[in-house]
Amino acid sequence: MRVALALGLASLLTQAQTTNLTGHSTSKPAAVEYLYPEQVTVPAGKATTVTLHFRIAPGLHINSHTPREDELIPTTLSIPEGFGVRLEGVVYPPGTDFTLPLDPQTKLSVYSGEFNIKASIVATAGDHLVEARLRYQACDNNACMPPRTMTAAIDVLAK
Amino acid sequence: MKRNSLVLSTVLFILAVFAWAGWANFEYRKQARERLLAMTPQGEMVANPAGGAPQYVTPLQGKPAPQFTLEDLSGEKRSLASYKGKAVLINFWATWCAPCKIETPWLIELRNQYAAQGFEVLGISADDIDRGDAQKLSDEKKQIARFVQQMQMPYPVLIDGDSISQPYGGLDELPTSFFVDRNGVVVAAQLGLTSKEEIEANIRKALGVGK
Repeated sequence: MRVALALGLASLLTQAQTTNLTGHSTSKPAAVEYLYPEQVTVPAGKATTVTLHFRIAPGLHINSHTPREDELIPTTLSIPEGFGVRLEGVVYPPGTDFTLPLDPQTKLSVYSGEFNIKASIVATAGDHLVEARLRYQACDNNACMPPRTMTAAIDVLAK
Repeated sequence: MKRNSLVLSTVLFILAVFAWAGWANFEYRKQARERLLAMTPQGEMVANPAGGAPQYVTPLQGKPAPQFTLEDLSGEKRSLASYKGKAVLINFWATWCAPCKIETPWLIELRNQYAAQGFEVLGISADDIDRGDAQKLSDEKKQIARFVQQMQMPYPVLIDGDSISQPYGGLDELPTSFFVDRNGVVVAAQLGLTSKEEIEANIRKALGVGK
């Protein structure tokens, strides 16, 4: 019986190992990195503000949450459903004015270096590993990278 | 004793299966990555022998430009092949690309200057388009059309540039341009914003005229 169970488990795990996995890694390092917190403790069922810290790679900037032109892609935070944690509200930092060297007349509203986003969350009781999503679009002085969505993994303990 | 041997053998067998599965998975991923890289010509920035900013060198240089057919904003299909006999600048851009906005007026001036010599620009938008949602697609096309009108682009503008990005190096950055001569061969490429002078020099190379 034990042998049969062990063989069955082995075959299942083998299938998992050899399953074609989609997804690919990009060849360049990410423009934005999530720093901390990795874990927060909040009262269950009550809105609590959590400050999320991010860092943008040197030489790059991303649009703020309120870019000055409609076609520019804003930085936005979201939490998908199904994690037991609801995003009630978000306070984004103000952008700083930035101009490209070859177009000093046009002011962009951007983040660069390190920045924080204050997220007001409500969690049901329990331990939730949340994958918050940050959508952004990064550029340097001469070129822009396509919009990306990164994941910020946060362990939310709600008591 | 016999039972212990059986259990031990089973455990060793399971571990051997795990090890094989892990190795097989690693090899599969490695080969898949190599196949993908082989299909996506990766360019690189190299030092400029004449000094100044580094230059972008594409593996497509000296090779036929990968063929494509894309729709313009009115839904009409346009193929690169139909421009054979003309020098073409294939310019990938997007509405969210601020450096592209700086470059576009230069492209318009140069296109108007060299059109009579058989030169054309194909402006390929790399903006995301959602073909599965008719309303979204319509809104996205309107946004691109607004940009085209604002910039007063006189040349063909094609959409869904992402769908042909792989043979052109993956479009990691915008703007990206490929200069194609009258025989359909890539003679130069540019990654990011450079200068009007550099663009003009590459146009002249594509036309086969002197500096």
